[in-house]
Amino acid sequence: MRARLLAREGGEEVYELFIGPQHPSSGHMRFIVRLEGDVIVSVDPDIGYVHRTMEKLAEGREAIKVIPLLERMTIIDSHNVTIGLVRAMEKLLDVEPPPRARYLRTLLSEMNRIASHLYGIGIAGIMLNHSTMFMWAFGDREVWLQLAEELTGARLTHTYSIPGGVRRDLPQGFAEKAEKAIRYMERRLEEYKRIFLENPQVVARYEGVGVLRRHEASRLGVVGPNLRASGVRYDARLAEDYAAYSEVEFEVPTFEEGDAYARMRQRVEEIKQSMSIIRQVLRKMPSGPFFAEKYLRLLPPKLRDQVLSTGRLKFPAIFATMKLPQGEAVARAEMGHGEIFYHIISDGGSKPYRLRVVTPSFRNVILFRYLMPGHRFMDFPAIYGSLDYFPPEADR
Amino acid sequence: MMGMGALEWLISLLLSPQVFAPLIFPGLATALVVLLTVIWAERKIAARVQMRVGPLYVTRRFGGVLQMLADGTRYMFQEFIIPETCDKPYFVFAPILALTLAILPFAFIPAAPGFSPVKSPLSLLGALAVTSAVPLAVLLMGWSSENKFAIQGAVREAFMTVAYEAVVFISALAMGVAYGTLDLEEAVLRQRLPGVLLNPVSAFVFFVGMVMSSGKLPFDIVEGEQEIVAGPYVEYSGIIFGIGMGLAYLKLYAFSLLFSLLYLAGWEPLPAPLYNLYPALGGVLLFAKAYLVMLFVVFLRSVYGRYRLDQALRAGWRVYFPLALLSVLISVVVRVVGYA
Repeated sequence: MRARLLAREGGEEVYELFIGPQHPSSGHMRFIVRLEGDVIVSVDPDIGYVHRTMEKLAEGREAIKVIPLLERMTIIDSHNVTIGLVRAMEKLLDVEPPPRARYLRTLLSEMNRIASHLYGIGIAGIMLNHSTMFMWAFGDREVWLQLAEELTGARLTHTYSIPGGVRRDLPQGFAEKAEKAIRYMERRLEEYKRIFLENPQVVARYEGVGVLRRHEASRLGVVGPNLRASGVRYDARLAEDYAAYSEVEFEVPTFEEGDAYARMRQRVEEIKQSMSIIRQVLRKMPSGPFFAEKYLRLLPPKLRDQVLSTGRLKFPAIFATMKLPQGEAVARAEMGHGEIFYHIISDGGSKPYRLRVVTPSFRNVILFRYLMPGHRFMDFPAIYGSLDYFPPEADR
Repeated sequence: MMGMGALEWLISLLLSPQVFAPLIFPGLATALVVLLTVIWAERKIAARVQMRVGPLYVTRRFGGVLQMLADGTRYMFQEFIIPETCDKPYFVFAPILALTLAILPFAFIPAAPGFSPVKSPLSLLGALAVTSAVPLAVLLMGWSSENKFAIQGAVREAFMTVAYEAVVFISALAMGVAYGTLDLEEAVLRQRLPGVLLNPVSAFVFFVGMVMSSGKLPFDIVEGEQEIVAGPYVEYSGIIFGIGMGLAYLKLYAFSLLFSLLYLAGWEPLPAPLYNLYPALGGVLLFAKAYLVMLFVVFLRSVYGRYRLDQALRAGWRVYFPLALLSVLISVVVRVVGYA
């Protein structure tokens, strides 16, 4: 590792390429790639092209309105990206979601995770110019988006979890639709295997490429599937008890190899686990309200009856001006890309005094610097794809 | 009377193989149709595999078949930008050279018995030699662009040429040994058994070399969109960019014709009535075979991603080069056993 980092930079024989921000596979960022012949000497990830001052914007609006704002960080995984925030606010407000709400949160989180992983697999596919994997993954993502729409009313910007519970109850006949989607996805994963993951051409591009050793992974503070593919069994769903994860059984798959191939298979294994969680959640779904009694009581009786009978929460004005009690709270959650961390400080007003968020992509971006040197230039998109890095999330 | 004579003379000139073959069939006009339809077919095949509909916007009723024509028209009317920093004469000249070299092989390719513009006992070598000159023009395109990505692409083109050229030549010459001739017309006439059955190793190696040469997946390394955007063509715009894109398909078309002649018995069985009507029409089956070969090559896009440059080089020298030599050996055995 040290030897790789100490490779000479600059000099006559070094060829400097600027990949991005206008480049087919750079994403919304720039990489300064230095080559010696066909071999990468160094890669500098230059982030910040889609920095939207999320933390500062969050200070300027009422707490409840921060949720739809921060969804935009990772719009492909919008429930997982905000559930940590909702947990932190709940800690400040001292309110607990009822069991049914916790299960519903788990349900949407796992649907989001599958969609997020499919997005990652698809992008990784097109980075090898494997258009079929790209189209398949993005097409099959649609199944989960429609299911999420059925549950929440929105394909991407769900704003489903709010302090005290969720916004909508489970719709009629959802379990059958979910089961159908799971069966379809199980069949498709086998086809993915045949066309992509076990395709000799793809294996040749991924195997032994961009190896992240276990100790390096933990030293660099890498999170999510990239960490687990290096053999570290860490998952915020286990580390921090939130939603209904302590009540369902699931495995945290890991791989020992730590190469690009392991990272790709890691995502497929996690999709399988997510589907198993969805099945369990739908089987064990407790009955009862989907929103905390404490808040339901604040609603006028007529509206309360309407909410409970239709299973849809209408926001009364009282929520918009809800005051966050003075204090601090932290929370973390496992997104598709890895662990997200929130720290809220409140001075007792209706807006957060300070909101700090550390996103998984921000923690993983360091890998570009460490994994690339020593590899062929054509490995650049292969490794990039395998990392499932999402610039808007890192830039916030 | 004079007018009639001139018209007849014009028609006879147009129908002479020396003009008809390079300009109409199997040359320029057919190549253009191939270009338009094969790219459309490629997109439709990929769409079918990928659960999409593919191009439908232009001529929706006919499955969007004229989409490529629309794209080509757009290229025509697009500004052709010559960058300030490029080597202007070479920048403009190189694509023209490339296109010329890509069309030249049709001068050596017979469409039907006795119907070829240049009759030569070395027509196989001639066709191969001309196709192998195309990369030089592409190299020039990349180099004169004075763009980092274009130069990377040009270097890749050079490397790839080294990887496949020997493979293509040796596997084709293996068939020359088997048939005892380097004349493509003779080669077809001597195929009592199609070449693909006679020497399957040679057919396979030639096929791989042809995919590498025409830069189709899994070997579309020179364009390498995900790394070097469009490689040597990155600075080109307008119709010249279109030519750059079409170059690969022209090469593929020429190679598919060669493949059909060498391994798929060419125009045999010859449709006699059509041949008697006009000799070039006897090449219908040859064209059909070549078209099927092309469809198979473009189908590979739905199955594969892209190999790495060093992997392609290694495959070329460590796998396909020895296999090509083996195919020569097989041909020698075939010859000794007394096939011909």
